[in-house]
Amino acid sequence: MEGTLTPSPLARDRWRRFRRIPRAHRSLWILGGAFVLSLFSDLIANDRPLYLAYGGRHFFPAFKFYPETSFGGRYGTEPDYHALRESPAFRAGRGWMLFPPIPYGPIRSNLDRPDPPPHAPSWGHWLGTDSIGRDVLSRLIHGFRVCMLFALALVAVSAVLGIVIGGVQGYAGGRVDITLQRLIEIWAALPFLYVLILLGSIYGRSFSILLCVTAAFQWIGLSYYMRGEFYRLRDQTFVVASRALGAGHGRIIFQQILPNALGPVITILPFTLIAGIGTLTALDFLGFGLPPPSPSWGELLQQGLKQLYCPWIAFSAVAALFTTLMLASFIGEGVREVFDPRSKSRYD
Amino acid sequence: MSDTPLIEVRDLQVHFPVLAGVLRRPAGAVRAVDGVSFAIPRGITMGLVGESGSGKTTLGRAILNLLRVTGGRVRFEGRDITNLSAGEARPLRRRMQAIFQDPFNSLNPRLTIAQIVGEALEIHFPKMRRSERRDEVARLLGIVGLEPSHLDRYPHEFSGGQRQRIGIARALAVKPDFIVCDEPVSALDVSVQAQIINLLQDLQDEFGLTYLFIAHDLAVVEHISDHVLVMYQGKIVESAAADELYRTPSHDYTRRLLDAVPTIA
Repeated sequence: MEGTLTPSPLARDRWRRFRRIPRAHRSLWILGGAFVLSLFSDLIANDRPLYLAYGGRHFFPAFKFYPETSFGGRYGTEPDYHALRESPAFRAGRGWMLFPPIPYGPIRSNLDRPDPPPHAPSWGHWLGTDSIGRDVLSRLIHGFRVCMLFALALVAVSAVLGIVIGGVQGYAGGRVDITLQRLIEIWAALPFLYVLILLGSIYGRSFSILLCVTAAFQWIGLSYYMRGEFYRLRDQTFVVASRALGAGHGRIIFQQILPNALGPVITILPFTLIAGIGTLTALDFLGFGLPPPSPSWGELLQQGLKQLYCPWIAFSAVAALFTTLMLASFIGEGVREVFDPRSKSRYD
Repeated sequence: MSDTPLIEVRDLQVHFPVLAGVLRRPAGAVRAVDGVSFAIPRGITMGLVGESGSGKTTLGRAILNLLRVTGGRVRFEGRDITNLSAGEARPLRRRMQAIFQDPFNSLNPRLTIAQIVGEALEIHFPKMRRSERRDEVARLLGIVGLEPSHLDRYPHEFSGGQRQRIGIARALAVKPDFIVCDEPVSALDVSVQAQIINLLQDLQDEFGLTYLFIAHDLAVVEHISDHVLVMYQGKIVESAAADELYRTPSHDYTRRLLDAVPTIA
């Protein structure tokens, strides 16, 4: 099955047309760039310094754990670097540290200030702090990473499930199809939130449980498209020709049908991403999402709603969510446009 | 051995169930092929004509083991090949091939010509090296009148006639004895039709091929066939040598078909 991984001219042509839609193309770069940057959140917003010099030695606390004793402290626990910087012993040892641009992690509460949190935006906290003194910007950045990782993992898992199950239905047809279809309908009728609450209360709330339950419902829509495509392509002449040549099921499915069937699925994937971001945020907002104190946008929204007198919290979260969803929608629109068979024939 | 026909079809029936009701129970059957018998001697072209829906394509696919036969027998060189499993049919695929009607739909738009024509070689000669396969595909392209430089192009870069040539090269790749040509020229321009038919005749002379040539157009069939079968509603209503059929059509349906052939006054 040589060459199935190299992009076909159709794929190259679609990419060329995608690039000609500036809004979609730019959105892809912005969202993609933001996601790649967010993978390095720990270097952007962290309460551990990137670099620390003490007693003539070099330390990299953002990457590695050092006990307090390394810097003349008493305990084997990790030091509070903000406190350490101010400590006379550290200064006496000619200690020096370089913090990331935002010297606050998403979980650390800044209670050093005289007034009680939440603090309004200031030079110390660009977007202020939340009700327990955590830096809002830092939580936004780390929350974005969690959100995107969740949504991308959701896209990947539900795409695989949808493609495999829908493909089996469409390719096998007949009883296999009808049986699976009825089972899917029963499964889809289960209330998603109940399943999530139930499993969350049994196994505890976690990223993986959340991902599994969400994906277990998200793939269904995708499988319908795959099923239809496999049904349609199964009887195309080039598939019959391949059968006449003696091709086995594997070859027919993976070389003849699948590459031609992926179009509709790819078109939905950006919208699955949007659904993933929306779902995670909504669940966090309701309190059924990630366990505290994970940085999350839904949790920020929730705080913003409770503390309407601190508009910076709600405003930051809403703005971030709005921007992300808008960018993803623009990408989705572009992809849909490019895959639209009416704008250019599928086979030409 | 020489008097054994290459293909022998005896009382062949292919029925498709008609499903009805909520439970999709079979309520009846469409008799696409309804008790057809004939034999194709080695080296000749058997024409098969009939209007759309008369069961021509179904008959061709039934012979090729591409769909399940309801009743009757198909023999290849005297051996019963009715309803073989996919594994049993595979050695047979090297002996009998197909050329399809729609040249736009019969080539996978995502594969190169080298991959499309090479697929048969990949399946039947898995030990063949990649470079050997490329050379063989290039040779096949030459036989059907295409350039070796077309190897890495995709189907959409070709005209209908060229695509049909690619389809022919794909069928020839396994060096078959028997080819079902399922309306191979119906979708082509008249000028291209003649080229493809001439190519098919040249290939028959060169490789000693036997054809089952399906068409709805008697004029095309007359030109290429030695013997013609006329099919109507799943049954063969007339079977005659090509020239005889045109001179003295015996069945009413054949006469109507003949009348439908446009003539230039």
